[in-house]
Amino acid sequence: MTDKDITGIIVTHGQLGEELLRTVGLIVGEVHDCYALSSSDLGDEKVVRSIHEILDRNNAKGTVVFVDYFGGSCGALCVRATRGIEGVKVISGVNLPILLDFVTKQGIMGLDEIVDHLIHRGRESVRVIEL
Amino acid sequence: MVILFRIDDRFIHAQVVVGWGRRLKPDRIVLADDLVNAEDWEKELYASAAGPDFKATVLSLAEAAGQIVGGVFDSEKIFLLVRGPAEALEILDMGLETTEINVGGLHFREGREKITENVWVDEGERGVLRDIVKKGITLEARALPGDERVTINSKVV
Repeated sequence: MTDKDITGIIVTHGQLGEELLRTVGLIVGEVHDCYALSSSDLGDEKVVRSIHEILDRNNAKGTVVFVDYFGGSCGALCVRATRGIEGVKVISGVNLPILLDFVTKQGIMGLDEIVDHLIHRGRESVRVIEL
Repeated sequence: MVILFRIDDRFIHAQVVVGWGRRLKPDRIVLADDLVNAEDWEKELYASAAGPDFKATVLSLAEAAGQIVGGVFDSEKIFLLVRGPAEALEILDMGLETTEINVGGLHFREGREKITENVWVDEGERGVLRDIVKKGITLEARALPGDERVTINSKVV
């Protein structure tokens, strides 16, 4: 890890987070300071504990927690786990473009800037493809 | 009218809204919980989780029991959600009548033993479920409506 990079934590149903992270690795090569947790595998308390462990180690510059679905259990769990902790933002609707942008910008943007950027990027990437 | 009375420690989430909601098409999801009801941010968190397709209401256990028994929701199909066996029993003891409760989600945590993939209980919770069974109520443990219907009455007595 480095002190200047923002940390990412992806919390999803099933193996979606692990697979997203693995796929990002296939595209950009090595990924650092980014973790995936499955709420299906771990149980709620374990997910919260794992988030806190990662924050304790890595929260120097800020952390973005990505969840798969607004209104899902992962989102509620992450809000509950991080509420009141400085330097943490929870974003719902994670997708591949968001994560690809995160790993390329995590060392050069601040927390608020990267969050705005990622949400814009995520929305922009959902579109009808017409040629 | 309560069309689904469900114990789920994750409250309003994707399984409930998309899984059950799509199948049973309720008009409203009622979350009955004293702790959530006491915190504005938690009420907002779970009410927003119901999404655009369903109305959502967060109430205390006493309010929920009173309003349902009192007929406030008679013209609507509602899902009633509570966090655990003790809360379900409390609502039953306040006069709500049902023949069946869906024990849909009591997830793993330290001290709980497994009954099904999605239902884990500690000794206290098992005892409360036993009290619910003694009222003649069927406990069925599907996480989702398309799952195999498993009755767990024999596993808690």
